Amino acid sequence: MSTPIKRVVVVGNGIAGLTAADSLRESGFDGELTIVGDEPHAAYSRPALSKALLLDGDDVSSHELPPATHGADEILGVRASGLDVERRLVRLDDGAALPYDRLVIASGSRARRLSDLPEELTLRGLDDALSLRGRLAARPSVVVVGGGPLGMEIASGCLAAGCEVTLVSEGLPMTARLGPYLAGVFVRAALDRGLTIVESGAARLERHGGGARVVLNDGAVVEADLLVSAAGDVPNTEWLADTDLATEGGLRVDARGLVRPEIAAAGDVAAFPSPGGARRVPLWSSAIEQAKVAAAALVRGDETPPLRFQPYFWTEQFGLNLKAVGDLPVHGAPAYVEGGPGGPALMRWSHADGSGVAVALDYRIPIPRLRRLSRAGA
Amino acid sequence: MKIVVNRPRCEGHGLCEEAAPQLMHLDDDGELVLDREEIGEADIPLANAAVRVCPVAALRVE
Repeated sequence: MSTPIKRVVVVGNGIAGLTAADSLRESGFDGELTIVGDEPHAAYSRPALSKALLLDGDDVSSHELPPATHGADEILGVRASGLDVERRLVRLDDGAALPYDRLVIASGSRARRLSDLPEELTLRGLDDALSLRGRLAARPSVVVVGGGPLGMEIASGCLAAGCEVTLVSEGLPMTARLGPYLAGVFVRAALDRGLTIVESGAARLERHGGGARVVLNDGAVVEADLLVSAAGDVPNTEWLADTDLATEGGLRVDARGLVRPEIAAAGDVAAFPSPGGARRVPLWSSAIEQAKVAAAALVRGDETPPLRFQPYFWTEQFGLNLKAVGDLPVHGAPAYVEGGPGGPALMRWSHADGSGVAVALDYRIPIPRLRRLSRAGA
Repeated sequence: MKIVVNRPRCEGHGLCEEAAPQLMHLDDDGELVLDREEIGEADIPLANAAVRVCPVAALRVE
Protein backbone atom coordinates (compact mmCIF):
# COMPACT_ATOMS: atom_id res chain seq x y z
CA MET A 1 0.00 0.00 0.00
CA SER A 2 2.99 2.29 -0.38
CA THR A 3 2.02 3.70 -3.79
CA PRO A 4 0.32 7.08 -3.41
CA ILE A 5 -3.43 7.09 -3.87
CA LYS A 6 -4.33 9.48 -6.65
CA ARG A 7 -7.83 8.51 -7.64
CA VAL A 8 -10.73 7.16 -5.60
CA VAL A 9 -14.11 6.27 -7.05
CA VAL A 10 -17.17 5.90 -4.84
CA VAL A 11 -20.05 4.02 -6.44
CA GLY A 12 -23.23 5.13 -4.69
CA ASN A 13 -24.41 8.52 -3.50
CA GLY A 14 -26.55 7.45 -0.56
CA ILE A 15 -25.53 8.09 3.02
CA ALA A 16 -22.86 5.34 2.82
CA GLY A 17 -21.22 6.81 -0.29
CA LEU A 18 -21.47 10.33 1.06
CA THR A 19 -20.00 9.37 4.43
CA ALA A 20 -17.23 7.40 2.73
CA ALA A 21 -16.32 10.44 0.63
CA ASP A 22 -16.26 12.71 3.70
CA SER A 23 -14.23 10.16 5.65
CA LEU A 24 -11.70 9.75 2.85
CA ARG A 25 -11.03 13.49 3.07
CA GLU A 26 -10.80 13.34 6.86
CA SER A 27 -8.32 10.49 6.54
CA GLY A 28 -6.09 12.79 4.54
CA PHE A 29 -6.91 11.78 0.97
CA ASP A 30 -6.67 14.93 -1.12
CA GLY A 31 -6.56 13.42 -4.59
CA GLU A 32 -9.18 13.07 -7.29
CA LEU A 33 -12.49 11.86 -5.87
CA THR A 34 -15.44 10.81 -8.01
CA ILE A 35 -18.91 9.80 -6.81
CA VAL A 36 -21.28 7.95 -9.10
CA GLY A 37 -24.97 7.99 -8.17
CA ASP A 38 -27.74 6.31 -10.14
CA GLU A 39 -30.33 8.82 -8.97
CA PRO A 40 -30.26 12.35 -10.40
CA HIS A 41 -30.67 13.84 -6.91
CA ALA A 42 -28.15 15.07 -4.37
CA ALA A 43 -27.72 12.64 -1.46
CA TYR A 44 -30.72 12.66 0.86
CA SER A 45 -31.97 11.03 4.05
CA ARG A 46 -33.73 7.81 3.11
CA PRO A 47 -35.35 7.23 6.53
CA ALA A 48 -37.34 10.45 6.08
CA LEU A 49 -39.01 9.20 2.88
CA SER A 50 -41.48 6.92 4.65
CA LYS A 51 -41.81 9.16 7.71
CA ALA A 52 -41.98 12.97 7.61
CA LEU A 53 -41.97 13.21 3.82
CA LEU A 54 -45.21 11.23 3.54
CA LEU A 55 -46.78 13.26 6.33
CA ASP A 56 -45.58 16.86 6.14
CA GLY A 57 -48.19 19.22 4.76
CA ASP A 58 -46.47 21.61 2.41
CA ASP A 59 -42.97 20.83 3.61
CA VAL A 60 -41.23 18.51 1.19
CA SER A 61 -37.74 19.18 2.53
CA SER A 62 -37.54 16.71 5.42
CA HIS A 63 -35.26 14.39 3.42
CA GLU A 64 -32.78 17.09 2.42
CA LEU A 65 -29.23 16.90 3.74
CA PRO A 66 -26.77 19.78 3.98
CA PRO A 67 -24.70 20.29 0.80
CA ALA A 68 -21.73 17.95 0.44
CA THR A 69 -18.33 19.32 1.42
CA HIS A 70 -16.07 16.55 0.07
CA GLY A 71 -15.37 18.34 -3.20
CA ALA A 72 -15.87 15.23 -5.28
CA ASP A 73 -16.73 15.18 -8.93
CA GLU A 74 -20.33 13.96 -8.80
CA ILE A 75 -21.68 11.92 -11.71
CA LEU A 76 -25.40 11.65 -11.02
CA GLY A 77 -28.17 9.87 -12.88
CA VAL A 78 -25.66 7.35 -14.18
CA ARG A 79 -25.37 3.74 -13.10
CA ALA A 80 -22.22 1.67 -12.67
CA SER A 81 -22.58 -1.26 -15.04
CA GLY A 82 -19.37 -3.20 -14.59
CA LEU A 83 -16.14 -3.58 -12.68
CA ASP A 84 -12.77 -4.69 -14.02
CA VAL A 85 -10.82 -5.63 -10.92
CA GLU A 86 -7.56 -6.36 -12.77
CA ARG A 87 -7.48 -3.10 -14.73
CA ARG A 88 -9.07 -1.13 -11.88
CA LEU A 89 -11.89 0.33 -13.95
CA VAL A 90 -15.50 1.07 -13.13
CA ARG A 91 -17.70 1.00 -16.23
CA LEU A 92 -20.74 3.25 -16.40
CA ASP A 93 -23.94 2.69 -18.34
CA ASP A 94 -23.30 5.83 -20.40
CA GLY A 95 -20.25 4.10 -21.84
CA ALA A 96 -17.64 5.89 -19.75
CA ALA A 97 -14.99 4.07 -17.70
CA LEU A 98 -13.48 5.47 -14.52
CA PRO A 99 -10.00 4.36 -13.47
CA TYR A 100 -9.29 4.13 -9.76
CA ASP A 101 -6.53 3.39 -7.29
CA ARG A 102 -9.08 2.74 -4.54
CA LEU A 103 -12.78 1.95 -4.89
CA VAL A 104 -15.69 2.25 -2.47
CA ILE A 105 -18.71 0.15 -3.38
CA ALA A 106 -21.82 1.67 -1.83
CA SER A 107 -24.33 0.75 -4.52
CA GLY A 108 -27.02 0.04 -1.94
CA SER A 109 -30.06 -2.09 -2.41
CA ARG A 110 -33.41 -1.84 -4.09
CA ALA A 111 -36.95 -2.84 -3.19
CA ARG A 112 -37.70 -6.54 -3.49
CA ARG A 113 -40.69 -6.64 -5.82
CA LEU A 114 -43.44 -9.25 -5.65
CA SER A 115 -44.39 -8.98 -9.32
CA ASP A 116 -43.55 -7.33 -12.62
CA LEU A 117 -46.87 -5.49 -12.62
CA PRO A 118 -46.51 -1.73 -13.12
CA GLU A 119 -49.33 -1.23 -10.58
CA GLU A 120 -47.06 -2.56 -7.83
CA LEU A 121 -45.56 0.51 -6.20
CA THR A 122 -42.57 0.39 -3.90
CA LEU A 123 -40.94 3.02 -1.72
CA ARG A 124 -37.20 3.02 -1.85
CA GLY A 125 -35.99 6.20 -3.53
CA LEU A 126 -36.96 9.85 -3.45
CA ASP A 127 -38.90 9.64 -6.71
CA ASP A 128 -40.95 6.74 -5.31
CA ALA A 129 -41.80 8.78 -2.21
CA LEU A 130 -42.75 11.92 -4.11
CA SER A 131 -44.87 9.89 -6.52
CA LEU A 132 -46.69 8.10 -3.68
CA ARG A 133 -47.20 11.41 -1.88
CA GLY A 134 -48.73 12.88 -5.01
CA ARG A 135 -51.10 9.95 -5.47
CA LEU A 136 -52.33 10.13 -1.88
CA ALA A 137 -53.79 13.59 -2.48
CA ALA A 138 -56.78 11.97 -4.22
CA ARG A 139 -57.36 9.76 -1.15
CA PRO A 140 -57.31 6.42 -2.94
CA SER A 141 -57.96 3.21 -1.06
CA VAL A 142 -54.59 1.55 -0.42
CA VAL A 143 -53.40 -1.98 0.18
CA VAL A 144 -49.90 -2.32 1.58
CA VAL A 145 -48.25 -5.74 1.33
CA GLY A 146 -45.60 -6.21 4.02
CA GLY A 147 -45.87 -5.95 7.80
CA GLY A 148 -42.35 -4.78 8.56
CA PRO A 149 -41.39 -1.26 9.66
CA LEU A 150 -41.46 0.15 6.12
CA GLY A 151 -44.88 -1.32 5.30
CA MET A 152 -46.26 -0.03 8.58
CA GLU A 153 -44.77 3.45 8.10
CA ILE A 154 -46.28 3.62 4.62
CA ALA A 155 -49.65 2.43 5.94
CA SER A 156 -49.44 5.04 8.70
CA GLY A 157 -48.69 7.81 6.20
CA CYS A 158 -51.53 6.73 3.90
CA LEU A 159 -53.99 6.64 6.83
CA ALA A 160 -52.87 10.10 7.93
CA ALA A 161 -53.53 11.32 4.40
CA GLY A 162 -57.15 10.22 4.82
CA CYS A 163 -57.01 6.98 2.85
CA GLU A 164 -58.70 3.74 3.72
CA VAL A 165 -55.78 1.35 4.24
CA THR A 166 -55.44 -2.42 4.41
CA LEU A 167 -52.14 -3.97 5.42
CA VAL A 168 -51.37 -7.56 4.41
CA SER A 169 -48.79 -9.10 6.72
CA GLU A 170 -47.17 -12.48 7.18
CA GLY A 171 -47.87 -12.96 10.87
CA LEU A 172 -48.63 -10.03 13.15
CA PRO A 173 -47.06 -6.80 11.78
CA MET A 174 -43.72 -5.71 13.28
CA THR A 175 -43.26 -9.04 15.08
CA ALA A 176 -40.30 -10.23 13.02
CA ARG A 177 -38.51 -6.89 13.54
CA LEU A 178 -39.36 -6.05 17.14
CA GLY A 179 -40.67 -9.21 18.80
CA PRO A 180 -44.22 -9.84 20.05
CA TYR A 181 -44.30 -7.41 22.98
CA LEU A 182 -43.45 -4.24 21.08
CA ALA A 183 -45.29 -5.45 17.97
CA GLY A 184 -48.43 -5.62 20.11
CA VAL A 185 -48.01 -1.96 21.07
CA PHE A 186 -47.75 -0.90 17.42
CA VAL A 187 -50.59 -3.10 16.22
CA ARG A 188 -52.92 -1.68 18.89
CA ALA A 189 -52.01 1.88 17.85
CA ALA A 190 -52.54 1.00 14.18
CA LEU A 191 -55.95 -0.59 14.80
CA ASP A 192 -56.99 2.39 16.95
CA ARG A 193 -56.25 4.69 14.03
CA GLY A 194 -58.35 2.61 11.67
CA LEU A 195 -55.88 0.33 9.88
CA THR A 196 -57.31 -2.94 8.59
CA ILE A 197 -54.80 -5.73 9.14
CA VAL A 198 -55.02 -8.99 7.18
CA GLU A 199 -52.69 -11.76 8.24
CA SER A 200 -51.75 -14.17 5.52
CA GLY A 201 -49.02 -16.54 4.49
CA ALA A 202 -47.05 -15.44 1.44
CA ALA A 203 -49.39 -13.24 -0.59
CA ARG A 204 -48.99 -12.79 -4.34
CA LEU A 205 -50.04 -10.11 -6.77
CA GLU A 206 -52.01 -10.78 -9.93
CA ARG A 207 -53.43 -8.87 -12.83
CA HIS A 208 -57.17 -8.37 -12.57
CA GLY A 209 -59.26 -6.41 -15.03
CA GLY A 210 -57.39 -3.22 -15.77
CA GLY A 211 -55.40 -3.28 -12.53
CA ALA A 212 -53.78 -5.54 -10.00
CA ARG A 213 -54.88 -7.18 -6.78
CA VAL A 214 -53.47 -9.13 -3.86
CA VAL A 215 -54.21 -12.83 -3.53
CA LEU A 216 -53.79 -14.24 -0.04
CA ASN A 217 -52.54 -17.75 0.58
CA ASP A 218 -56.09 -18.95 1.32
CA GLY A 219 -57.28 -17.66 -2.05
CA ALA A 220 -59.07 -14.58 -0.72
CA VAL A 221 -58.35 -11.36 -2.59
CA VAL A 222 -57.76 -7.77 -1.48
CA GLU A 223 -58.34 -4.97 -3.96
CA ALA A 224 -57.64 -1.26 -3.65
CA ASP A 225 -57.00 1.75 -5.87
CA LEU A 226 -53.33 1.72 -4.93
CA LEU A 227 -51.08 -1.27 -4.28
CA VAL A 228 -47.81 -0.74 -2.44
CA SER A 229 -45.42 -3.52 -1.49
CA ALA A 230 -42.74 -3.38 1.20
CA ALA A 231 -41.18 -6.81 1.09
CA GLY A 232 -37.57 -6.16 1.93
CA ASP A 233 -34.58 -5.20 -0.18
CA VAL A 234 -32.15 -6.80 -2.62
CA PRO A 235 -28.48 -5.72 -2.72
CA ASN A 236 -27.41 -4.07 -5.97
CA THR A 237 -24.60 -6.40 -7.01
CA GLU A 238 -25.55 -7.21 -10.62
CA TRP A 239 -22.93 -4.79 -11.95
CA LEU A 240 -20.29 -6.94 -10.22
CA ALA A 241 -21.39 -10.08 -12.11
CA ASP A 242 -18.09 -10.34 -14.01
CA THR A 243 -16.10 -10.39 -10.78
CA ASP A 244 -16.05 -13.06 -8.10
CA LEU A 245 -16.74 -10.50 -5.39
CA ALA A 246 -20.47 -10.64 -4.80
CA THR A 247 -22.52 -13.44 -3.29
CA GLU A 248 -26.29 -13.69 -3.18
CA GLY A 249 -26.37 -12.20 0.31
CA GLY A 250 -24.46 -9.10 -0.72
CA LEU A 251 -20.82 -8.18 -0.87
CA ARG A 252 -18.76 -9.80 1.89
CA VAL A 253 -16.35 -7.46 3.61
CA ASP A 254 -13.91 -7.92 6.47
CA ALA A 255 -14.15 -6.20 9.84
CA ARG A 256 -12.69 -3.04 8.27
CA GLY A 257 -15.09 -3.00 5.35
CA LEU A 258 -12.52 -4.23 2.84
CA VAL A 259 -13.29 -6.65 0.01
CA ARG A 260 -9.70 -6.52 -1.24
CA PRO A 261 -6.91 -4.18 -0.16
CA GLU A 262 -7.94 -1.61 -2.76
CA ILE A 263 -11.72 -2.15 -2.66
CA ALA A 264 -14.04 -1.35 0.23
CA ALA A 265 -17.80 -1.73 0.52
CA ALA A 266 -20.27 -0.13 2.89
CA GLY A 267 -23.97 0.36 3.45
CA ASP A 268 -26.92 -1.73 2.35
CA VAL A 269 -24.87 -3.69 -0.20
CA ALA A 270 -22.25 -4.91 2.28
CA ALA A 271 -22.42 -8.00 4.46
CA PHE A 272 -20.04 -7.54 7.37
CA PRO A 273 -18.87 -10.04 9.99
CA SER A 274 -21.06 -10.38 13.06
CA PRO A 275 -21.31 -13.04 15.77
CA GLY A 276 -24.04 -14.78 13.76
CA GLY A 277 -22.03 -14.72 10.49
CA ALA A 278 -21.80 -12.18 7.67
CA ARG A 279 -24.92 -10.07 7.49
CA ARG A 280 -26.30 -6.96 5.90
CA VAL A 281 -27.74 -4.39 8.29
CA PRO A 282 -29.59 -1.94 6.03
CA LEU A 283 -30.01 0.87 8.55
CA TRP A 284 -28.96 4.53 8.55
CA SER A 285 -26.41 4.42 11.37
CA SER A 286 -25.09 1.08 10.13
CA ALA A 287 -24.31 2.64 6.73
CA ILE A 288 -22.54 5.56 8.39
CA GLU A 289 -20.43 3.48 10.77
CA GLN A 290 -19.46 1.05 8.02
CA ALA A 291 -18.54 3.86 5.62
CA LYS A 292 -16.30 5.61 8.15
CA VAL A 293 -14.31 2.47 8.88
CA ALA A 294 -14.15 1.38 5.23
CA ALA A 295 -12.89 4.75 4.00
CA ALA A 296 -10.25 4.94 6.73
CA ALA A 297 -9.15 1.38 5.95
CA LEU A 298 -8.66 2.20 2.26
CA VAL A 299 -6.27 4.99 3.19
CA ARG A 300 -4.61 3.60 6.32
CA GLY A 301 -5.07 -0.17 6.02
CA ASP A 302 -4.68 -2.28 9.15
CA GLU A 303 -4.05 0.71 11.41
CA THR A 304 -7.78 1.36 11.21
CA PRO A 305 -9.73 0.06 14.20
CA PRO A 306 -12.25 -2.55 13.05
CA LEU A 307 -15.99 -1.88 12.99
CA ARG A 308 -17.65 -2.15 16.37
CA PHE A 309 -21.26 -1.78 15.55
CA GLN A 310 -24.28 -1.79 17.79
CA PRO A 311 -27.52 -1.45 15.83
CA TYR A 312 -29.64 1.68 16.22
CA PHE A 313 -33.16 1.50 14.86
CA TRP A 314 -36.01 3.94 14.96
CA THR A 315 -39.50 4.15 13.56
CA GLU A 316 -42.38 6.61 13.59
CA GLN A 317 -45.85 5.33 12.87
CA PHE A 318 -49.44 5.66 14.07
CA GLY A 319 -48.46 8.43 16.47
CA LEU A 320 -45.76 6.34 18.15
CA ASN A 321 -42.04 6.99 18.11
CA LEU A 322 -39.64 4.18 18.94
CA LYS A 323 -35.87 4.21 19.28
CA ALA A 324 -33.95 1.03 19.96
CA VAL A 325 -30.32 0.17 20.59
CA GLY A 326 -29.15 -3.45 20.45
CA ASP A 327 -30.16 -6.57 18.57
CA LEU A 328 -33.85 -6.83 17.77
CA PRO A 329 -36.24 -8.65 18.02
CA VAL A 330 -36.74 -9.01 21.76
CA HIS A 331 -38.75 -11.67 23.49
CA GLY A 332 -40.77 -11.60 26.69
CA ALA A 333 -41.78 -8.57 28.73
CA PRO A 334 -39.31 -5.73 29.37
CA ALA A 335 -37.94 -4.29 32.56
CA TYR A 336 -39.41 -0.77 32.71
CA VAL A 337 -36.70 1.75 33.54
CA GLU A 338 -39.07 4.71 33.23
CA GLY A 339 -42.81 4.83 32.60
CA GLY A 340 -44.96 1.77 32.10
CA PRO A 341 -47.27 -0.06 29.70
CA GLY A 342 -49.60 2.15 27.69
CA GLY A 343 -47.55 5.35 27.89
CA PRO A 344 -44.13 6.85 27.26
CA ALA A 345 -41.55 4.39 28.48
CA LEU A 346 -37.92 3.45 28.66
CA MET A 347 -37.51 -0.32 28.55
CA ARG A 348 -34.74 -2.87 28.68
CA TRP A 349 -34.42 -6.49 27.62
CA SER A 350 -31.55 -8.93 28.09
CA HIS A 351 -30.66 -11.58 25.52
CA ALA A 352 -29.47 -15.03 26.52
CA ASP A 353 -25.91 -14.13 25.41
CA GLY A 354 -25.79 -11.31 27.96
CA SER A 355 -26.22 -8.46 25.47
CA GLY A 356 -28.93 -5.93 26.16
CA VAL A 357 -31.51 -3.97 24.21
CA ALA A 358 -32.75 -0.55 25.31
CA VAL A 359 -35.94 0.85 23.83
CA ALA A 360 -37.43 4.33 24.18
CA LEU A 361 -41.10 4.56 23.27
CA ASP A 362 -42.43 8.11 22.92
CA TYR A 363 -39.58 9.00 25.23
CA ARG A 364 -36.98 11.59 24.26
CA ILE A 365 -33.53 10.29 25.09
CA PRO A 366 -30.16 10.79 23.44
CA ILE A 367 -28.62 7.74 21.80
CA PRO A 368 -25.50 7.77 23.97
CA ARG A 369 -27.72 7.35 27.04
CA LEU A 370 -29.77 4.68 25.34
CA ARG A 371 -26.52 2.85 24.50
CA ARG A 372 -25.35 3.01 28.08
CA LEU A 373 -28.70 1.69 29.23
CA SER A 374 -28.48 -1.23 26.78
CA ARG A 375 -25.12 -2.18 28.28
CA ALA A 376 -26.16 -1.76 31.92
CA GLY A 377 -26.81 -4.96 33.87
CA ALA A 378 -30.51 -5.80 34.10
CA MET B 1 -17.65 29.25 11.42
CA LYS B 2 -20.74 28.56 13.43
CA ILE B 3 -22.94 25.55 14.22
CA VAL B 4 -26.64 26.22 13.76
CA VAL B 5 -29.46 24.01 15.05
CA ASN B 6 -32.86 23.93 13.40
CA ARG B 7 -34.86 23.28 16.58
CA PRO B 8 -38.19 22.28 15.00
CA ARG B 9 -36.42 19.61 12.94
CA CYS B 10 -34.37 18.11 15.78
CA GLU B 11 -35.87 14.83 16.96
CA GLY B 12 -33.32 14.25 19.68
CA HIS B 13 -31.66 11.18 18.18
CA GLY B 14 -28.36 12.37 19.58
CA LEU B 15 -26.20 10.81 16.89
CA CYS B 16 -24.50 14.21 16.66
CA GLU B 17 -23.40 13.96 20.29
CA GLU B 18 -21.88 10.60 19.50
CA ALA B 19 -20.01 12.06 16.53
CA ALA B 20 -18.83 15.24 18.24
CA PRO B 21 -19.13 15.03 22.04
CA GLN B 22 -16.62 17.90 22.34
CA LEU B 23 -19.03 20.27 20.63
CA MET B 24 -22.54 19.30 21.69
CA HIS B 25 -24.66 17.14 23.95
CA LEU B 26 -28.29 16.44 24.68
CA ASP B 27 -29.53 17.51 28.09
CA ASP B 28 -31.70 15.42 30.41
CA ASP B 29 -34.81 16.41 28.46
CA GLY B 30 -33.22 15.31 25.20
CA GLU B 31 -32.76 18.90 23.98
CA LEU B 32 -29.61 19.60 22.02
CA VAL B 33 -27.14 21.92 23.73
CA LEU B 34 -24.28 23.40 21.73
CA ASP B 35 -21.31 23.55 24.07
CA ARG B 36 -19.46 25.55 21.45
CA GLU B 37 -21.32 27.47 18.81
CA GLU B 38 -18.40 29.32 17.27
CA ILE B 39 -15.82 26.89 15.97
CA GLY B 40 -12.35 27.26 14.54
CA GLU B 41 -10.83 25.65 11.46
CA ALA B 42 -9.56 22.70 13.49
CA ASP B 43 -13.02 21.67 14.65
CA ILE B 44 -14.74 21.87 11.27
CA PRO B 45 -14.24 18.17 10.39
CA LEU B 46 -15.76 17.23 13.75
CA ALA B 47 -18.69 19.60 13.27
CA ASN B 48 -19.22 18.28 9.75
CA ALA B 49 -19.29 14.73 11.10
CA ALA B 50 -22.07 15.75 13.48
CA VAL B 51 -23.96 17.48 10.68
CA ARG B 52 -23.65 14.47 8.40
CA VAL B 53 -24.89 11.89 10.88
CA CYS B 54 -28.19 13.67 11.60
CA PRO B 55 -30.97 11.75 9.85
CA VAL B 56 -33.26 14.78 9.91
CA ALA B 57 -30.61 17.31 8.86
CA ALA B 58 -31.23 19.56 11.84
CA LEU B 59 -27.63 20.85 11.98
CA ARG B 60 -25.66 23.09 9.73
CA VAL B 61 -22.19 24.62 9.76
CA GLU B 62 -22.13 28.06 8.23
